[in-house]
Amino acid sequence: MRAMVIDDSRAMRMILKRIVTKLNFDAVEAGDGQEALDLLADMPEVPELALIDWNMPNMNGLEFVTNVRADPRLREMTLVMVTTESEQSQIVRALAAGAHEYVIKPFTEGAMIEKLALLGLVPTGANS
Amino acid sequence: MTLSQPEFAFVSTLVRKEASIVLAPGKEYLVEARLIPVARAVGAANVNEFLAELQRRPNPAHQRKIIDALTTNETSWFRDREPFAALTDVILPELIKSRATTRKVRFWSGASSSGQEAYSLAITLQEALPSGWNYEIVGTDISTEMVKRAETAEYSQVEVNRGLPASQLVQYFERAGAHWRVTSQLRKNVSFKLMNLTAPLPAMQPFDVIFMRNVLIYFDVATKRTVLQNVAKLLRPDGWLFLGAAETTIGIDDNYERVAAGRTSAYRVRTGVPAGASRRG
Amino acid sequence: MSVEVEVNENDLAEMVEQVWESYLDPEGINPLIPTYDENQPSEVHSSVSISGSWTGHIVYACSIEAARRAAAAFLAMEPDEVSQEDLSDVLGELANIVGGNVKAMLPPGAFLSLPQVVLAPESTARFPNTERISGVYGIWDGEPVSISMWHSRADNNQEDGA
Repeated sequence: MRAMVIDDSRAMRMILKRIVTKLNFDAVEAGDGQEALDLLADMPEVPELALIDWNMPNMNGLEFVTNVRADPRLREMTLVMVTTESEQSQIVRALAAGAHEYVIKPFTEGAMIEKLALLGLVPTGANS
Repeated sequence: MTLSQPEFAFVSTLVRKEASIVLAPGKEYLVEARLIPVARAVGAANVNEFLAELQRRPNPAHQRKIIDALTTNETSWFRDREPFAALTDVILPELIKSRATTRKVRFWSGASSSGQEAYSLAITLQEALPSGWNYEIVGTDISTEMVKRAETAEYSQVEVNRGLPASQLVQYFERAGAHWRVTSQLRKNVSFKLMNLTAPLPAMQPFDVIFMRNVLIYFDVATKRTVLQNVAKLLRPDGWLFLGAAETTIGIDDNYERVAAGRTSAYRVRTGVPAGASRRG
Repeated sequence: MSVEVEVNENDLAEMVEQVWESYLDPEGINPLIPTYDENQPSEVHSSVSISGSWTGHIVYACSIEAARRAAAAFLAMEPDEVSQEDLSDVLGELANIVGGNVKAMLPPGAFLSLPQVVLAPESTARFPNTERISGVYGIWDGEPVSISMWHSRADNNQEDGA
């Protein structure tokens, strides 16, 4: 399976990449929403999962989600916001725009794995 | 002052036996760091004294504190998922038929800790019961501190990240400063009280469903039997008991039978046997 | 004064604790030990600005060694492998995480800037016309780390288009 990790912080991308790699995903990185869309346009196979920061330059995570949801080719992608935006209203906005799950930073590795398990993206018993 | 080899061996045997967790050698510093607050909380001068006393006189409550301090997974919402799926898919549809006259169900979270299990049950019932139904959830715990925490119903950002779907976070919680608080809609149906499961239990109305997961693992066989007999008296004859995945009544209390519940299993009191009538205890 | 803002030292301390639990000290053996010393030295700092319903800054300041260790913990590498770019990136993300959580406690309509990192000591000159309203000061693994919140005095009710 493939996962796209979209965050303008390289450190955060590293953390997320480490977690999804443990779960047997091949990870692709993007530094903002636009870069992620450009990469997706060139990918023959759509990744199963995208982990998406909210506040990024060029195109933010919410705009990225809106774009993905409007594109039938990307319909199967599971979208998880991973952000410091933690107001109730922001979570509601992201879910309404089409995000499937929402992880608030800071998160522990265990918490991220549990969220992915909720989405059926973790083989059962694989939370180390 | 670091842990000696025998002290580390004592702790690692305890957590391996009771929680199936293996502590690799070299983790002495970690074990000690985690046990310092526990030792302080029970009034021991230091970790060494705390462990020495526990070896002299086994104390289930203190053993549990050690296991809690060394395990990190005990605070998830909808922990293990399957029992909650079994409620929605199998048990609640059945209860909705059998309790159609009273339109009320009672659940017990029998080691409620900081309350995540009790509130997860509340969310499940809130979503699954038809309108006009009532539910009541009682959480009990051996720790006064935990009962207070659960009543407060406030959870940190890190805590609400754990296993709680975002859609339910926004629906059943509201921001309270740096925390998230369970809404009054759920809180009004959930209460907590102090209870020691190994002592004779206070009179309570019987329950339709009892969650008592990862509690028996802390006890020896005789105590397990006592707890199971006590629990049977509080379980409605057609009620359901959920134990932890590593726990069973088999070989301990034959009054129960294991039954399939969705993709997991639960326990029910055998028909024709009065609850708590075991001759073995 | 910022009567409407209810972010106190305890809230800030709790967020800091969560950052440590999540990234800097997942095993719970190396916490930030409070010193309560508002004047403790720093060598590098990062900040995010908040605008809209509240105007001010969240500042993460520490020694170079503490920044290096934080970067090593984030990036799962040895402290001596950490580059200056790694260090800046992690400092920025730390300010962003604390800032985002502070923002959630402010009145609705607050906006968070992208983080800024300065590889030089924290200085009030960088945040003119502000006053410190809350802060957590401590020692992590023997090195100074602080997280503080500064409110703009000239809070001139900017219009914001949400």
